[in-house]
Amino acid sequence: MKEQNILQQMQELYQSNDEAITRQIDCGIQITLMSLETMCDDKKISAFVLQPLVYLQEATSVQQVRLKISTGAIVKDITNVYTAVELFTNGYTLVFGADGAFAVDTRTTLGRAIIEPPTSMVMKGPREGFVEDLKVNITLLRKRLKTEHFKIVNATVGKYTNTSISVCYLQTIADQRIVDNIVQRLQNINIDGVLDSSYISKYLDPSRTVLFRRVGMTEKPDIAVAKMLEGRVCVVVDGSPMVLTLPYLYVEDLQSPSDYYENASITTLNRALRFISVVLSVLLPALYVCLQMYNYQIIPLKFLITILNATEAIPFSPMVEMMIVLIIFDILREANLRMPSAVGISLSLVGAIVLGDAAVKAGLIGAPAVMIGALSGIGLFTMPNNTFILSLLRIAITLIGGIMGILGVILSVVAILIYMVSLQNYQAPFLAPYAPNIPADKQDAVGQRPLTEQVERPRSIPNVNKRRRG
Amino acid sequence: MLDKNKVYVSQIGVLLLLIMSGTKILIFPALIAKQVGHDSWLVMVLSFVYDLVCLTFVLWAVKLNKQNLAFTDILHKTIGVVGSKVVLVIFFVLFVSRLISLLHSCYRMFAVTFDVNTNWVVFIIPLSLVSYFAAQRGFNSIARVGQLLVVIIVFSVLALVAFPLFQVNFSELLPIGEAGIDKIMEQSVTHSFWFSDYIFIYFLMDTIKVKKKIFSPVLCCFLLGAAISVVTNMVFVLLYGSLSPEAELAMIKIGLFSVSETTSGRWDWLTLSVWIISVVLKVVIFFFCANKCIEKLFGLHLSNTNGFVWLGITATLIVPLFVSVEEVLPTFIKWTIIPFALVQYLLPLLMPWWTKISNELSLSKKGAGI
Repeated sequence: MKEQNILQQMQELYQSNDEAITRQIDCGIQITLMSLETMCDDKKISAFVLQPLVYLQEATSVQQVRLKISTGAIVKDITNVYTAVELFTNGYTLVFGADGAFAVDTRTTLGRAIIEPPTSMVMKGPREGFVEDLKVNITLLRKRLKTEHFKIVNATVGKYTNTSISVCYLQTIADQRIVDNIVQRLQNINIDGVLDSSYISKYLDPSRTVLFRRVGMTEKPDIAVAKMLEGRVCVVVDGSPMVLTLPYLYVEDLQSPSDYYENASITTLNRALRFISVVLSVLLPALYVCLQMYNYQIIPLKFLITILNATEAIPFSPMVEMMIVLIIFDILREANLRMPSAVGISLSLVGAIVLGDAAVKAGLIGAPAVMIGALSGIGLFTMPNNTFILSLLRIAITLIGGIMGILGVILSVVAILIYMVSLQNYQAPFLAPYAPNIPADKQDAVGQRPLTEQVERPRSIPNVNKRRRG
Repeated sequence: MLDKNKVYVSQIGVLLLLIMSGTKILIFPALIAKQVGHDSWLVMVLSFVYDLVCLTFVLWAVKLNKQNLAFTDILHKTIGVVGSKVVLVIFFVLFVSRLISLLHSCYRMFAVTFDVNTNWVVFIIPLSLVSYFAAQRGFNSIARVGQLLVVIIVFSVLALVAFPLFQVNFSELLPIGEAGIDKIMEQSVTHSFWFSDYIFIYFLMDTIKVKKKIFSPVLCCFLLGAAISVVTNMVFVLLYGSLSPEAELAMIKIGLFSVSETTSGRWDWLTLSVWIISVVLKVVIFFFCANKCIEKLFGLHLSNTNGFVWLGITATLIVPLFVSVEEVLPTFIKWTIIPFALVQYLLPLLMPWWTKISNELSLSKKGAGI
């Protein structure tokens, strides 16, 4: 009776939905099949459900049907209407009889091919990238982790989207408390729909940080696995090629996927360059404004004369001049992101030649300001995941520096650092291993030691297995 | 105990190293050179010896504080409510007056160095806001910023001192003790106001995470900080000789000497700007401690740092608008030398004993199930 009630409710729920297909079959007992046309693969329905049912002539119970006819790889019980809806909308074919009900996996495999992710191109190393299909993504992880310790906890989030989410971790490395905490947070999410993993990332940051992102994201399975091997937990969201990694440290932004396939010394040099670029990007415009407005004595004499010659005819104050450059840069960047790639190149040319060159020739903006703005702008892209935040910070610091001078810049830097060091997510301090100082973790921070010398897992990431080997 | 205020012993050491220089390499060298000439470094050394002894006692007290009792709890249990309030009042006045002297010397440094003649109120408000923000995020954040920047700050000071260090003739410090041992000792006592930076440790007694090694990290940092201050003082006196009492802002004058023979611009101002971060940290720490004094004095149980208390402390800092700090400060120090010496030099010697007693009392209360 219970099964019939579920069937009745399902039919009521989907009576006005043309893509819901209901079919009656007599194979000794009356069987009702329900499937969603757009989510199911016809061939699978035919092979795993219809053909066996047609050949089975004298069934006596649904249980017998389930045991004898189900050639589908995954068969799940239907216990209530909620389970039925979830399985139905995910592409399962529901099989109802008088004394039982079950669902057979007939999901269609739609989606793009596995390609190199455009956000994480590498010269060396694997080129596979995650796709939008959860199952494929889990396969990409499983392919690299052929161990029984690789565990997955599934959850469903989204009132209307019923998005499947998998929490992946290595049982003998990850801290179970962190895993439980993440699963708990996922279960507590109350949201209409989840269209991408970035929706989930907001809920996985308990302190709701304003400025910096607190959840790592990667499109590459090798990176996700490397992070799991350090004790992190991966959250894979159906429909998103971005896999979330937790806990997340700021130093991860300095690390590039190709770092681990290069020589350690080259990696160290590259990371140091990225760090210097970011610091310069944020502080250079502010320092330029401060030095020009208040403390020009700091600038060497010859350099100062050059700057003065280039800026004497500019009608704006150095601060306004620099703000114009920074805002124009941000407008161009934003427009470039939204444009189709072919038009984007033209836009870059217009920005660089027409706006920049013409503005300098017209005497509206000085060449040093354009140079500083451009250098700062290019530097931002060495940390591509934080470009927007860093851009915002440089504008704010430039403004404060222009008003308060070097004291303003110093106070801004101190305030930002205080904010950053106070952040902590899932027991991992945001600026570790530098604040707090964890010397052992500096083996793979800004500097990198050769892989053979990295014996211990990072202490800043909670884990239950301290050593990588031995 | 709030987790965000938790600090490690090594972080205490780093903070002590950073805040020790402060005014000691800014206006103090000229002040003391006025009294004892080239023997000013001896006054500094002697004062650091007192500090070293007191710091050792304070650390000993921290080690004995097994029950993680707050400083005020220890005072309550040993000298009573009234006694503890008197001590807190003295501390509050000490912190505020040191804040004023620190900010004032910084203000003058900005005016002289960076040609920024801003209003005093406009100068202190941003610093107060940053201090408030830092206290809101917890003392742990302040300690972590110290850890993050200690290398570049120390390097910036050393970069300023390194060049003149090899230019001066140290034999000019001879004869040692020319001003007379009595005078040197007297000056080290009368100028004690500028020392004992370790007093902030009192207000963290309940939040310090004690490890096996408690003395060596802090004492090593203290000795390094003391060495930097003494060497800077020596270099300053040797560079400017009889003119040093008039030179006032020592660090700037040393920087000026470093760049005087180059045409590479005032790069010393950049290193000075980095060093100022340690002064900002000192301001933040003293603000934090003054705020703690007020909280405990009035029995406020604030989950977060209270904005009104902060505003009150900031309001006390506008004193220099109405009086000349240069004129009033010596008289003020003269009047307050005894109460200040009580908390700076006598209290540390008593703290291990008081901590032990109050811990035993606390333990016996717990044992009795009270």
